[in-house]
Amino acid sequence: MRLKDLGTRPAPATIRSLLSRIVRGHGPTVPVERREVPYWQERGWTRSGNKYTGTYQTQYGAFWGEIIEHRGDDIDFFLYQPSGEIRQHSHWACFQDRSSDWFLIHMGRRPKDVSSGILAIERLITEAFES
Amino acid sequence: MKRLSVVVAGTGQIRDVEIQPGTTAGDILNQLGLKDYLLSKGPNDPFFANAESVFDKVNDGEKIFASTKAEVGERLLCA
Repeated sequence: MRLKDLGTRPAPATIRSLLSRIVRGHGPTVPVERREVPYWQERGWTRSGNKYTGTYQTQYGAFWGEIIEHRGDDIDFFLYQPSGEIRQHSHWACFQDRSSDWFLIHMGRRPKDVSSGILAIERLITEAFES
Repeated sequence: MKRLSVVVAGTGQIRDVEIQPGTTAGDILNQLGLKDYLLSKGPNDPFFANAESVFDKVNDGEKIFASTKAEVGERLLCA
């Protein structure tokens, strides 16, 4: 005799679970809505009137900042306590000391919105660490 | 063909596009009517030049940013 009947035994739990999922099928697809928020909000900045507070975020660290939005697309970007890397960047001359460790960043090409300015400054900080 | 989600940084609006090999950043911006904007993959990456082909540099389904042109001032202007 080549085969011996050993009787039956319950299948392991993992196989039972797999089979039950196959029998039940997949549940209905749940569409996940995309958040359409401005970049400044996505980065966790908060706004109070014409003043934004938050951090410029890079892979090298997050740096406190403030942004004041004036009338007529005029926006001032401030950075608190720039690191040594930023101070050694070729654009350091564009940071104007406003006392108490706050620096106003002079924008050669002014962004039309706060989010674009944050992106530009985050890019500059990244550059400073990589140069 | 690749699909891209272009996030307009200032508003957060997301525009979905499909691109073919050879599509440039300028093609995308023109198509979306985003004059005076630049495309980038994010703050850790440089802006795409207008004539630069984007297809090979992005993954299917990737999110990229369109932001208005902004630069911290040139050293000579700031000094």
